[in-house]
Amino acid sequence: MSDTLLEVKNLKKYFKTSKGLLHAVDDVSFTIERGKTLGIVGESGCGKSTTGRCIMRLIEPTSGKIVFDGIDLATLSNRQMRKARKDIQIIFQDPFSSLDPRQTVLQAIAEPIIQNKLIKGTAAIEKRVLELMETVGLAERLINSYPHELDGGRRQRIGIARALSVEPKLIICDEPVSALDVSIQAQILNLLEDLQEKLGLTYIFITHDLSVVNHFSDDIAVMYLGKMVEKAPAEELFANPMHPYTKALLSAIPVPDLRYKQERILLKGEITSPVNLPDQCRFFKRCYSTCAKCKGKEPELLEVRPNHFVACHLCEVGTNA
Amino acid sequence: MEKNKILLDVNHLTVNYELEDETVEAVRDVSLYIERGKTLGLVGETGAGKTTTALAILNLIPDPPGVIKSGKITLDGENVLEKSMKEMTHIRGKEVSMIFQDPMTSLNPVFTVGDQIAEALMIHEKLDKSAAFKKAQEMLEIVGIPGERAGEYPHQFSGGMKQRVVIAIALACNPQLLIADEPTTALDVTIQAQVLDLMKELKKRYGMAMLLITHDLGIIAETCDYVAVMYAGQIIERGTLEEIFNTARHPYTEGLFNSLPNIADRKERLKPIPGLMPDPTKLPKGCAFAPRCPYASASCIEEMPEEVHFGGTHFCRCNAYKNPEFRIEREDIVYE
Repeated sequence: MSDTLLEVKNLKKYFKTSKGLLHAVDDVSFTIERGKTLGIVGESGCGKSTTGRCIMRLIEPTSGKIVFDGIDLATLSNRQMRKARKDIQIIFQDPFSSLDPRQTVLQAIAEPIIQNKLIKGTAAIEKRVLELMETVGLAERLINSYPHELDGGRRQRIGIARALSVEPKLIICDEPVSALDVSIQAQILNLLEDLQEKLGLTYIFITHDLSVVNHFSDDIAVMYLGKMVEKAPAEELFANPMHPYTKALLSAIPVPDLRYKQERILLKGEITSPVNLPDQCRFFKRCYSTCAKCKGKEPELLEVRPNHFVACHLCEVGTNA
Repeated sequence: MEKNKILLDVNHLTVNYELEDETVEAVRDVSLYIERGKTLGLVGETGAGKTTTALAILNLIPDPPGVIKSGKITLDGENVLEKSMKEMTHIRGKEVSMIFQDPMTSLNPVFTVGDQIAEALMIHEKLDKSAAFKKAQEMLEIVGIPGERAGEYPHQFSGGMKQRVVIAIALACNPQLLIADEPTTALDVTIQAQVLDLMKELKKRYGMAMLLITHDLGIIAETCDYVAVMYAGQIIERGTLEEIFNTARHPYTEGLFNSLPNIADRKERLKPIPGLMPDPTKLPKGCAFAPRCPYASASCIEEMPEEVHFGGTHFCRCNAYKNPEFRIEREDIVYE
């Protein structure tokens, strides 16, 4: 029996702009099993953060189903949704702007506990905060410090402690380490990994850093202009990428090892605007291997091998594999 | 002859930021050189002193609070630090150019990109306005932007395109040295690949030397001939690209490599460097890395480490090598 925690179905988010409809997230579907990590990768503007925020309804989705633990979140009232958010937490990219500068560490971590009325009494709350601080590796003496006194790594630990304070089932990590230095980045990644093991957490890991996502995820979804273009188990995706965009993306990672030599696929041009898209493959204009079909119709995400989904006309017939 | 090969020579540079009640020791006794046509990569974490070193080369340290305590910077035989403000403006943009990290803020929003490239040409090459604008269009073509777009404003370009414009400005006067401070950090990976490729090609074409500042060892591996690793204001290891990547010697360099996810073995657990970089206003008397170093002994905290040399180009600053048997755990990479 598969133990699905979250199922997102045909999720769409369109923004109205003066030039037309901006397709930020365009018909994205995926499922995550309990205790697993789904990595969502893509370049800026591909809709990965919007997807994460739509799941929590921090941004209202235009349409689609978000079935979390058997309940469709998209149908809940605001009041019900506020309760449901206890089970889904988010960690943001920038630990410098995601904390209130006027709150001490104690106040910041206690806030969600008090909001959700999980524990009553100042002493009990403080005890819980200290427990959480220990879990995320913050020294007890920092309890009355303000964010500006702390470095990025410690601030990100506060963000994690806040997320953990309500004992969520799912944590959406939106670029949690990209603002941090490598040595600190590794500390935070290890912490997230340990917490997953200890608390049985499920993660959605949103990032543009492919080597991080490879290390961290069970499954990886690649997004381009609001669309999921490829999804596969991490190992499979790295060993056998099929979509031309995924191939280019993987080949573009600079590898810090001189033995590692690879042919780089340089893409022409840049990501196009997601406003008023024509019915053709979104990657068509930058693609280096196209066929007659690409211009005519948007390819669908199809399972071309077990658990390996690709949205590319060439992969459908297997000429590109 | 030998002397002429060296374009930039920085000797014992020390830069402090003197604030009201404390002094930040940003750069501590840094010496480095770059040969003509070669690229030196400067790696290190936030606050290691990389950007301050670069600004000192251009004599651009904000003063106050910045003070160049000591040191000599020789560029093409001339002592940069002794130049007047006026003389410096002839060197900047002509002999040395700098590309900054954020292309969004390094362009002026109220001038067209063509005018911004032409400005440098009018100042340094004494071209008249129309000739400079024409050359600006050629520069845009070189960095892969259609020349007709010279009349457009920065907001009409995407991030990657803006960085190309910045590169065009930097290269307009054919500088001998290009200082690139995290030139691709703000860009997406596929765009980063395009920009790095462009920079490599232009470097080959013009034979210019480059000082590349980055925290990304992957980028270093692709673009540099030499690497210097900075920590808490000091260069703690320097060598050729192969020496640093294949036979690193300093425990901090080892720690940096261990912190990175291994692309070949995704299940391998990361080995971060414990702790944090020391406060640059309260640096320890001895080795600044000692509190985080797995090999540190009691004397490391007391004694300032000296340079230990391993052959002509490779050195590191680590007292553990006083014991001739000492080796870090990271194994040397040997090619079969």
